[in-house]
Amino acid sequence: MFLQRGVVAVLGAALLALGTAQNGVAQQSVRIGAIYPLSGNAASAGSSSKAAIELAVDLVNHGNPDLKDVPLADGKGLPGLGGAKIEVIFADNQGTPAAGQNQALRLITEEKVVALIGAYQSGITVTTSAMAERHGIPFMAPESVAANLTERGFKWFFRATPVAGDFARAYSEFLKEQQAAGQKTASIAVVNENTEYGNSVASVIKEQFAKDGLNISQVIPYSANTTDVQPQVLQLKEKNPDVVIFISYTSDAILYAKTMKDLNWKPAIMIADDAGFNDPSFVATSAGLVEGLVNRSSFAVGKPGSVSAVINDLYKKKTGNDLDDPSARAMQGMLILADAINRAGSTEPAKIQAALKATDLKASQVITGYNGVKFDDKGQNVLASSLITQMQGGKYVPVWPKDKAAGELKLPYKGW
Amino acid sequence: MMRRALPLLIGALALLYPLLVSGSAVYQRLGALVLLSAIGASAWNLIGGYAGQVSVGHAVFFGAGAYAALAGYAQFGMPPIAGAPIGVGVAILVAALIGVPTLRLSGHYFSMATIAVAELVRVLVTNWEWLGGAQGISGPAIPRTVLDLSFTSAVPYYYIFLAVLVSILFMTWRIEKSRMGFYLRAIKDSERAARSLGVAAGRYKLYAYMLSAGLTAVAGALYAIMFGFVDPESGCGILISVKMLIMAALGGAGLLFGPLVGALILVPLEEISNSLLGGKGAGLTFVVYGAIIVVIARFLPSGLLALFTGLRSPRKPSATEPSHAA
Repeated sequence: MFLQRGVVAVLGAALLALGTAQNGVAQQSVRIGAIYPLSGNAASAGSSSKAAIELAVDLVNHGNPDLKDVPLADGKGLPGLGGAKIEVIFADNQGTPAAGQNQALRLITEEKVVALIGAYQSGITVTTSAMAERHGIPFMAPESVAANLTERGFKWFFRATPVAGDFARAYSEFLKEQQAAGQKTASIAVVNENTEYGNSVASVIKEQFAKDGLNISQVIPYSANTTDVQPQVLQLKEKNPDVVIFISYTSDAILYAKTMKDLNWKPAIMIADDAGFNDPSFVATSAGLVEGLVNRSSFAVGKPGSVSAVINDLYKKKTGNDLDDPSARAMQGMLILADAINRAGSTEPAKIQAALKATDLKASQVITGYNGVKFDDKGQNVLASSLITQMQGGKYVPVWPKDKAAGELKLPYKGW
Repeated sequence: MMRRALPLLIGALALLYPLLVSGSAVYQRLGALVLLSAIGASAWNLIGGYAGQVSVGHAVFFGAGAYAALAGYAQFGMPPIAGAPIGVGVAILVAALIGVPTLRLSGHYFSMATIAVAELVRVLVTNWEWLGGAQGISGPAIPRTVLDLSFTSAVPYYYIFLAVLVSILFMTWRIEKSRMGFYLRAIKDSERAARSLGVAAGRYKLYAYMLSAGLTAVAGALYAIMFGFVDPESGCGILISVKMLIMAALGGAGLLFGPLVGALILVPLEEISNSLLGGKGAGLTFVVYGAIIVVIARFLPSGLLALFTGLRSPRKPSATEPSHAA
């Protein structure tokens, strides 16, 4: 019987050996590892991000004449490395922190990638970036927003995306501008779904508004699984605030749009915090009920011929869909990495790290609505910001800040 | 002579494995992952395999270990390993609390009750701020001292896990040979018959359940130490419970080395198929993974090890077949 147990061990060893088949030949190109959820319940978001990253790489490797301002988009590869091309090795994090970390190790040690990008879910970004940190490989987080990611004292971690504090600042500045322009903003209500996302964003907004002297008069937490939001809308109707900020997922967002019409109540300014209100299914079902709704996004398609419009067209040609917010941020992350590697003029991780630290991209050089890219000591992009968009005639149009606007802000909120 | 030489050879192979694959950090880590899964599945095997009480809620105990290790760090700055005994204690206590009522249920009803408890705990943890809520909690990403057990190489993990697994298997082997082992197997074959022969079935099932829970918490703590992060899904998700079950069943539930064999097959299969196919982004990994499980389940329903130990006729676990012993 022990003999047979040996057979099993040999069988196991044979399985291990299987994996070595993938060790490719040494490449001329610069290899970057991308870890995204390509299976599991975030697979559709992961696949969109994958397509967006592939588009970014395509821009660097093959260029596009309509994108002169975007660094490296002239199709000469990485001039700093003698025109080397970028090659991205994708790995599936399967939606688990363990698989993400295992794949990070493989990409670093077997695929010899010089930098990593990923990993969509904040929890998986925690474990994958820890692996990069231990091996001294730069890690770019283009979309994970959990606050603690930049509080770990990491030296190889860079985050390009705006976080909750940035959204809150954008809302605050936006509202103060409207105040100055004569809109009523005396009372503000916050309506948030009551799990991690809604609670954390609501508390950051409360903090920021208190600091900026904006008066939040009403906070209504609710469960996103609800099938009826009449009680919440009736509470709003009773207090009748000038501004309402909704922090909601998709099905509840649709319910709010419908119930507010049913109960015939609307505020002067209605703001939605991305998420459910940007979901294609919300736009498809409810756009006609929320004309004039103010929203945020890191990416919005600008005027024809603008960088964002050209990129959206390219993405649409590739996938059949419009470029969505998180995927645009992933694409931006890859372009930042490419820019840094090019300036580093080397594939040595330490030089790429130094180049990332010296990153200084202007607003005109980024494809998202950021004010630019510049990392602080913790690796957070201090110029990350959100665009404010408005629902106009069935789709969201960027309206604020003015220099990135494609349409005129129309207030008060019209609704239906 | 062969009977003496082969265990020695396998032991030597296990001890030397990290050196044999010293050129590949990925395979060193794979070794550690196999052992980690084998620890969890062997712990499950005590109640699910030997006693035939198919728990699909062991994620509760796994989560207790994982959360105790990292909460101790996040809240009090303790090294994660110091939280492990607390996790084990909590797991044993929880096992006693939920074991007393649920172990009275038989067959599918016991399995269903364990699922319900596990899901309840997952939801509780998701809304428990102190444990990091939905966002989860991280361990020390940059080790402060060696006590944090945060290594770049997987080799230290490999030997820690190996030591733990050997201890668990030794303990299981002693139980197997003891009076308790006979009682558990008797309960598995027919609880009513065992009771009629004077076996205190309820008490022994509870002992096995508590022991199994404590050891599962050890697996959870080791997982958290190695990966440095736990959230409700990766700590208490139903997939954790199911994987323990599948590994033990695939290798041979109720056999000493069954869970280890299951882990030796499934973990490399999962990792390698993900490495080879995952990047293509078509979810092919799970198709291949699932297909192999189906094939083994179809042709070797009592586990791979049965093929080698001559247990051709499967001893069906009582949980999947109502007892006819009356």
